Amino acid sequence: MSGSNTIDRRDFLRVLGISGAAATLAGCGNTAIESGVEKVQSYVQPEDFVVPGVGVYYASTCAQCGSGCGVMGRVREGRILKLEGNTHSVISGGKICALGQAAVQVHYNPDRLTTPLMREGGELKPTTWDKAMATLTARLGGESTLKGAQIAFLTGEVSGHQKALIGNFLDSFNSTHHVVYDALSTATGQAASKAVLGAAQPLLQIDKATLILSFGNDFLGAGVSPVHMAAQYARFRKAPRGTLIQIEPRMTLTGANADRWYALKPGTEGVFALGLAHALLEHGQFAKTVPAPIVAALKEYDKETVSGITGVHADAIPHVAGMLMEHTPSLVLSGPSAEGQVNGAQNAAAILLLNVILGNAGKTLQGQASHPFPQLIASAGSYAALTQLNNSMASGQCQALLIAGSNPIFSAPGFLPFAKSMEKVPFKVALVTQVDETAAQCDLVLPLHSPLEAFGSHVSSYQPRGVEIGIQQPLMEGLYPDTRAFGDIVLDLLRQREPKNYKAFPDYYAYLKLAITKARPVFKSKLSDDDFWEDALRSGVLQLDAAPTALKTNASVVVVSKPEKHVIDVRYPFYFVPSVRADLRDGRHANLPWLQESPDSLTTIVWDSWVEIHPSTAAEMQIREGDILEVQSASGSVRAKAYLFPGLQPDTVSMPLGQGHTAYGRYANGMGVNPFKILNPLFDAQTGELATHATRVVIKKTGEHELMVKDEGATNLQQGRKLVATVAADQAELAKETSHVVE
Amino acid sequence: MSLSNLIKNWSSLRVKRPYQDQYKNADYKWGMVIDLDSCTGCNACTTACYAENNLPVVGKESFSKGQAMHWLRIERYWGEGTELAKFPDHGAQFLPMMCQQCESAPCEVVCPVGATHHTPDGLNSQVYNRCIGSRYCSANCPYKVRYFNWWQYPERAWPNPLEKQLNPDVTVRSKGVMEKCTFCVQRLTAAKNQARTDGRRVADGEVTTACAQACPTSAITFGNMADSQSQVAKIWARQQVELASDKQEKKDEGLRGYRIFEELRTYPSVLYLERVRNSDA
Amino acid sequence: MIDRRDDSDIEIERRFVPKAKDINEDIAWAQINKDVLRSMERPRPMYWVIFAASLALFGFGVFCEVYQYQTGLGVADLNNPQVWGLYIATFIFWIGMSHSGTLLSAILHIMHADWRKPIYRFAEAMTTFSLMTAGLFVLVHLGRVWQFYYVVAYPNERWTWPNFNSPLVWDATAIGTYLTSSIVFLYFGMIPDLAICRDTATGFRRKFYWFLSLGWQGTDRQWANFRVAYLTIACFLIPLAVSVHSIVATDFAVSQQPGWHITSFPPYFVAGALYSGCAAIITLFIILRYVFRFEEYMTMPILDKTCRLTFAIAMVWTYLNLIEYASVWYGSDVYAKETLIYRATGLYAPYWWAMNFLGSVVPFMLAFKSMRNNLTIMMVVSLLLNVGMWLERFMIISPTFAHGYYPWTWTSGWWPSWVQWGIVLGSFGWFSMLFMLFCKIFPTVSMYEVKEMVYHRSEARKARNL
Repeated sequence: MSGSNTIDRRDFLRVLGISGAAATLAGCGNTAIESGVEKVQSYVQPEDFVVPGVGVYYASTCAQCGSGCGVMGRVREGRILKLEGNTHSVISGGKICALGQAAVQVHYNPDRLTTPLMREGGELKPTTWDKAMATLTARLGGESTLKGAQIAFLTGEVSGHQKALIGNFLDSFNSTHHVVYDALSTATGQAASKAVLGAAQPLLQIDKATLILSFGNDFLGAGVSPVHMAAQYARFRKAPRGTLIQIEPRMTLTGANADRWYALKPGTEGVFALGLAHALLEHGQFAKTVPAPIVAALKEYDKETVSGITGVHADAIPHVAGMLMEHTPSLVLSGPSAEGQVNGAQNAAAILLLNVILGNAGKTLQGQASHPFPQLIASAGSYAALTQLNNSMASGQCQALLIAGSNPIFSAPGFLPFAKSMEKVPFKVALVTQVDETAAQCDLVLPLHSPLEAFGSHVSSYQPRGVEIGIQQPLMEGLYPDTRAFGDIVLDLLRQREPKNYKAFPDYYAYLKLAITKARPVFKSKLSDDDFWEDALRSGVLQLDAAPTALKTNASVVVVSKPEKHVIDVRYPFYFVPSVRADLRDGRHANLPWLQESPDSLTTIVWDSWVEIHPSTAAEMQIREGDILEVQSASGSVRAKAYLFPGLQPDTVSMPLGQGHTAYGRYANGMGVNPFKILNPLFDAQTGELATHATRVVIKKTGEHELMVKDEGATNLQQGRKLVATVAADQAELAKETSHVVE
Repeated sequence: MSLSNLIKNWSSLRVKRPYQDQYKNADYKWGMVIDLDSCTGCNACTTACYAENNLPVVGKESFSKGQAMHWLRIERYWGEGTELAKFPDHGAQFLPMMCQQCESAPCEVVCPVGATHHTPDGLNSQVYNRCIGSRYCSANCPYKVRYFNWWQYPERAWPNPLEKQLNPDVTVRSKGVMEKCTFCVQRLTAAKNQARTDGRRVADGEVTTACAQACPTSAITFGNMADSQSQVAKIWARQQVELASDKQEKKDEGLRGYRIFEELRTYPSVLYLERVRNSDA
Repeated sequence: MIDRRDDSDIEIERRFVPKAKDINEDIAWAQINKDVLRSMERPRPMYWVIFAASLALFGFGVFCEVYQYQTGLGVADLNNPQVWGLYIATFIFWIGMSHSGTLLSAILHIMHADWRKPIYRFAEAMTTFSLMTAGLFVLVHLGRVWQFYYVVAYPNERWTWPNFNSPLVWDATAIGTYLTSSIVFLYFGMIPDLAICRDTATGFRRKFYWFLSLGWQGTDRQWANFRVAYLTIACFLIPLAVSVHSIVATDFAVSQQPGWHITSFPPYFVAGALYSGCAAIITLFIILRYVFRFEEYMTMPILDKTCRLTFAIAMVWTYLNLIEYASVWYGSDVYAKETLIYRATGLYAPYWWAMNFLGSVVPFMLAFKSMRNNLTIMMVVSLLLNVGMWLERFMIISPTFAHGYYPWTWTSGWWPSWVQWGIVLGSFGWFSMLFMLFCKIFPTVSMYEVKEMVYHRSEARKARNL
């Protein structure tokens, strides 16, 4: 201090500055100011709403997955610090998942792209926006004569006005080639659902079910809208307590919470479901639900046959069928392990048939409310779209490729020569917040604002209740001077191509604001346009109360073929089931340190990949934890450490997807291996989607050994301590506990 | 340095066992309930804790040495005994474990410099700038929920611009000090200050911990046990678990509430509700 | 007297089994002075070699500590739950080793056991230096070494006191008191000898000893005061010695961790301390006797008695050890029993069995006179006993962490890193350096006490012959 008795202005500002600046090390011996790392900021003239020491919360929408959860960000001294759930949002209900928390690390990632990159002499070199825009304009601006299939826009799942803008952009080229690629596509399941239930993505009303039978559906983990599903699940578990039965080859997070878990051979889910159907149809009450040919065909699905094919004990079938009859309404769900097969759609249809038999439609399954803006709903990604794009590029048809939110060089299967095909495209531009494997192959890479710095809107394809449009607004000023909003860049080009239509929009903000205010009548708002817009920003959501629609089920589309046992290829004796971690998904979040450090829920392993092997199989093969194994399919091989995992069908091995990056920043590079590369070229017979769970592998011991980096210690059992006590449902007085779950 | 102060307050320096109705007239006694039947093991709470409390990401090598810094950890067990079953027929057992804020904390007694003590509102405090890093507190903790800064994390865990995410309300710890879950004391202090300014007590639901706020299934409930109308107080009362008792005598059957290692007489402030499994499944 | 240049004319005895000869009762006082002072002459080259080795070891320890201080304790490979490693184990080891000096100096003095007189000086020096070494570990193991003084009740404007409930504060107090008292006792007991040194030294050394001997002239009055003061400090030191290691034991005993919460820990630790201290006395006895040709003073009968004392203490320790196992084995504390079984069968089991073997079986070599008279065997045995005692301290700490109450934090492969070993070895280098310096600056045999012993024996013989 200054030595006088009073605090003078310099000291006062210094104090303010300490509270306002970034990380201080006060209390432990050194301050960042004393060591010269931080500078003092004067707050004589602060920004609006910036009161030093007081946090302000702004609403926005999370962009980490397709759920569209409403969030709110805590902002202090103009910096976004942390996200919480937005209580106004129906989807998030004021809650948030780990992926959502990590969104701030997308924004503050030290490996974020901060300047445009241009390829010169074979290498990507930093350049200025002027030069970048000049190139972009030259290729895709007003003078460009590309049309139709010559231009393609490859994205991940995108919704809202960004999707509309991409549509507008491609329209200006007379093109419809918006390629939406999803490495974890649910297109097969959706096709089956549309056929059997009448809707591609019906409402799964978990909290109304008394019994959920899930064939590998990971609704609590990497499924659709996990935050919302988790809240429903909590209500499902309150008195009267629902029962969850999970049947899958590899235990998912949802399976870990099941009352009863069954391991079955991957791809045989449909057979099991038909076995259940057979058992149910022995009871007269269900006779009329299914057309006669199917009843006849089901006669071959007796429990012994089904047990032999699936590997599940024969007594399980009458038991589960009995449960289904006793607990109504029930809900039967299909999942990736059933759908990612050569007969995936058939599997899914067989599973969903159970819903028809049990009459769940209208009770636990309903159609989503009709949406006033269907064009804004996220388009489902697929593998087929990527194949088409690949062919278009390989044949030389594609002349210009824009990429945003998609990384096929990483997540496409190894047999697809996407990188080679991409080389044939004369002009490739990526719009990213951080360079990834695909962006690294482009000619021009443009740095984007993170979702915490830009405007946008989100319309999830799964609307759990009514209609909700999530508004995304910047939670702070741009962190870097040279990043731009996705919408602004595209609008720039659009203004050059169609000045008449778009000159009214100087930026994406104007575009979005106009679109939102134009929608005001739909939301029955009595506010003025500007107030409506302000209100939308303040609450973060636009909501419409709308009732679910009825489902028109159709059992007759279900194909019941003769039950056949899988033929085991002796060269590749193991089933290979890739697992999806809720916090890594298809690998796009592997650059976030909190998520790498967050132990995987089932194995507690961090910062790495692993090969799950059942302990009995490992004992036979004399494999210990940490032994490095080579997992080889007909399409490639990867090496990873073995992990003994009891939640596995013994003839199956599993590896997590999402690791194995090579050009995605310090937190992702060199961490683990990429099992996408060993998936075999097998496709669903009906939809042509990649059969992700149909690969077969052989396991080879390399003789090498490494320490497994995980959180669990020397034991994974409670060793007789009362740590997690379990009580039988009929002995717990759940009815006496009042619910404190947020409704 | 006041000898008279020491002598006058000598009795409060002695470690005492908690007693019935100890917090009856107190303004605050922070407590928590975790419903193990709702917890799905998703790790949203642990990530929220990292974000709120400036927890350093230690990286693969330090993690492999067991030097992780997760104040709240999700444990996953496959069984209650000593034998691993062939298949986990009834799922996994998830347990969120953090500092239990024990009323008779084994850690508080043994810190040589008094860097950890019990606050009037029922928390076990950790005073970073008093800690000299003897680690006796961690040695004595039966739950092993205390985490030591083995490295100078400010140098390595937040490469620019990650340090901008740091919460200014929470100290960034240097090497050599012990840390642990504080029940987000920075939030509690802010809420108490606001309430005091308004001349009232903090209302139930007005303040919550980062983990409770994030949890998608609302498995974690946090609140003021001295407020008999708060959720936590009601749940503790309904479950017939007494804070100051090391062996609960419950009148009713079928109550799910229990505390971990209660027989060690730590008197934790965290109540767990037993996980339920439908036995006919 | 011819001023010798160095002590190279000391002829090293090469007999395998030396004669069990006791001190010559007719030995002249001047001869005693000459023999002892000769050990303080300029050292032979071998001394410098060993000193350099100790210095190198100490230097490596310093390097490790500086690295650890600057980088953080993570370099020691410590983690949750293994928060204390070799530092605390070695700390207890050094505190333990310090007890022998007090035992010999103080307890045996009060018991009028004359045979301690030639050997108590170096034993007391060993005590002092062990305590200094142990003090190093208190600092080394702290996370924030630079704020160690928070443990001390010093005046500060925050009105903060250390936490008097904590055994570590008791440790700091007890060890501080013990160290101060030991230094006083050692110095005080040396005053008459320092006067002898003063009288025979020249130049700078004379001034040095003149200063230290505080004007000792050997008058009757001075001797009378000396006796009283000496006895007083000795009586003061005895309860200190017992309490210091008891307090160190309470570091563990007041904790409820399985394997620590044992009521017999304080006497167990004290017994272990006396045990390792006596074993170290044997080691140093043999070394000093050999190097300085002290056969006249450090006689075989004295060694014999020391070995028998060690054996007795070994049996006490063995009893307390076995009683601890028995009470855990037959008790109802499930967790403590599990930890005991882990010690015997888990990762550190070889060291546990080694500890029990070295601590309970090897001392039987001390029960046989033929073994006791064999200097080589005694040297090896005494070193092995100390290895066993060091392992004992390690086995108290790491297995309890590896296999405690909470199964999630059980470890399966924890070992200390090279930094920990470096500092532990450095502490041995430090101790060795201090001791070697002591040997050359101060007389390692108490000349005046030897004279007393000889006088009493000759008087006794005369009385018998009459």
